[in-house]
Amino acid sequence: MNGLVVRGKTARTILWVLLAAVTLLYGFPFVYLLLTSFKTPLETIAVPATVFGSEFTLENYASALGREGVVASFINSTVTAVLSTVISLVLAVPAAYAITRYRTPGGQVFILVALVCRMVPAIVVGVPLVSLFRDLGIADTSIALAIAHTTLSLPLSIWLMTSFFDAVPDELDEAAKIDGCSRLGALRRVVLPVVSGGVAVTAIFAFLASWNEFLFSLLLTAVRAQTTPIVIANFQTQFGLDWGSMTALAALYSIPVVLLTLVLQRHIVAGLTLGAVKG
Amino acid sequence: MQHPASQRPSGAAARNTTKTFLSAAAVLSALTLAGCGAGGGGEQSTDDSESLTVLVEAGGKAELTGIAEKFTDETGTQVTFVELPYEGLYNRLNTEFSSGSTSFDVAALDAIWLPTFADAVTPLNDMFTDEVKADLFPALVEEAQVEENFVGMPVWTNSEILFYRTDLFEDPAEQSAFKDEYGYDLAPPTTWEQYQDVAQFFTRDTDGDGQTDLYGTDVKGAVETEWLATVSQSGAENMVLSPEGEVTVNDAEHLAALDFYVGLNNDLKVSPPGAAQIDWAGAQNLFYQGETAMMRFWAHAYPQTPEDSPVAGKIGAAPMIGGPGGVAGVPGPWYLSIPKTTDKQEAANEFLQFAYDNNAMGIDSSLGLAARVSAFEEYEGRPGYEHFDALVETLSAEGTKPRPATENWQEIVDSALIPMLQKALEPGADNQQLLDDAKEQIEAITQ
Repeated sequence: MNGLVVRGKTARTILWVLLAAVTLLYGFPFVYLLLTSFKTPLETIAVPATVFGSEFTLENYASALGREGVVASFINSTVTAVLSTVISLVLAVPAAYAITRYRTPGGQVFILVALVCRMVPAIVVGVPLVSLFRDLGIADTSIALAIAHTTLSLPLSIWLMTSFFDAVPDELDEAAKIDGCSRLGALRRVVLPVVSGGVAVTAIFAFLASWNEFLFSLLLTAVRAQTTPIVIANFQTQFGLDWGSMTALAALYSIPVVLLTLVLQRHIVAGLTLGAVKG
Repeated sequence: MQHPASQRPSGAAARNTTKTFLSAAAVLSALTLAGCGAGGGGEQSTDDSESLTVLVEAGGKAELTGIAEKFTDETGTQVTFVELPYEGLYNRLNTEFSSGSTSFDVAALDAIWLPTFADAVTPLNDMFTDEVKADLFPALVEEAQVEENFVGMPVWTNSEILFYRTDLFEDPAEQSAFKDEYGYDLAPPTTWEQYQDVAQFFTRDTDGDGQTDLYGTDVKGAVETEWLATVSQSGAENMVLSPEGEVTVNDAEHLAALDFYVGLNNDLKVSPPGAAQIDWAGAQNLFYQGETAMMRFWAHAYPQTPEDSPVAGKIGAAPMIGGPGGVAGVPGPWYLSIPKTTDKQEAANEFLQFAYDNNAMGIDSSLGLAARVSAFEEYEGRPGYEHFDALVETLSAEGTKPRPATENWQEIVDSALIPMLQKALEPGADNQQLLDDAKEQIEAITQ
């Protein structure tokens, strides 16, 4: 018995150490970025680099926020990410629902094709989109960028929602229909509330895919729809890199997604476990 | 099989479904409208015919901002800048030129991109009059011409010059000690031999802990341009490639340049450790931290020393050093070009001419550079512009040559030149063998 307790404690200690190591591995770059954003210009470029600065300054934040176009880029990033998330969900939810409920061979092919689309390099889609959006007269708009971002998030959203719907027994739909619901009514009133955690997870993944995306933003935006990742990259020029301002803006840009993740944490865990228990 | 009744919504359910979709459509429409109007739309002209869009690298926008504002004041044509990071700008240009339509009317192009995009931009031969050519540095005129056409108007140029610490060079004790040791006066070096002497002299342990903490210079292994300047200093007729496309990278002059360049690190040990990974930012950091006494670096950096640097206010500038072929640098100009696809050719031409006429305005920007000789000369001798003498002398030097005009240049740099330099910085490297290998690689790229 004592041996079991000791072994349990040892295993727990090892797990905690591993957990701490993994957390450090993931967290250190972000913590270093945060700390650098509060260093003086000379300390941001110190050789060898130091983790902590000798002085605390907000100069980098003032410099970053004072740069032309930063606030507009934040608005653009937010609008684009929200639009892309909405479009992804509006398309992915019914598509995944139909795939899981009708189980037709076409549906199985469709979901495989969706997966293949996810593997296509973004640049392959990006170049034709430049011409397409210009011909449609929507070049350099947030809607065009959101549509482009949806090409990245939609396949993943369909796959995620499919796994969540799969975990919900068909009998729930049948019961809803017996109670007078249409197929869509059953989806909206009964099934969607059950998979709300999954929808939240899918929404977060779609939002993050758009929020962090760089290549399409580079190719498809100019002035009106330019997003913050491009503005952050602009701190690196041919003649140098403004580490302080870049890290300050990157830290600010991280805040919304960190908050979003914290607020929706309960749904994310619930959603992930919902898919995991599928029998 | 579904029961027919189950496939048909009831009246109430149908109304709910319709409401749901209408709500979703309303939300989408609102977001769409918001999306289209978001961001910096206010900067764009309401009358499209009276506006120009200029694609520019983020670091260069400041150079053109004042000129563009004056252009708008005088002509009424709005100028909107699309600012992109350096690497991204190339990708964007490539994508738009490939697609056959462009979203910009003028683009600022790095000199090394001109051969790649020469066919996609409007020739500017009429703009390059004898008077214009006489007021531009020879290397800039040469680089602007791809085959028969001038494809870009230089708007600003840079070159490496020599930065040195005046607190060391002007210290009487240092001057006396140097003269005792080397037999001539301590001054900013002008030749390879002097550079080696001064670098050796300043490499030392200043705090007595047994560790070298001051080095004579840096050696940059992660970038190629400084070695290319050394190639020109060696008297090489061609840099890496001849105009006919023959690869000359393994000739005697290139070898002499490589021996001198890496010898500072490998033999004389006058540069900080880790030379193979030192790039522009790394070298600049070392100098600003006070760890190197001299630095060969782009001239624009002269007024940009951080105020909290221990060497702030103690930096002098001199022309780039010379080898057997004399003083030489590598010019780093940017050109304004007009895509053939824009229908605003006339306004774009007018802007380019205006930018040339008002070229000196760029000197008042944060980058502080111009392209015309007369613009630099206008500022020479003014406080804060002490580096212009050195820059003009380096750019005007007979040995200063542009990089080869080839579409494959970036690939040659990334695949052959930088790896070759980094291997040459390893102990016991066989420089001739490395250059021979580089020749083979470059031939494989170009043929």
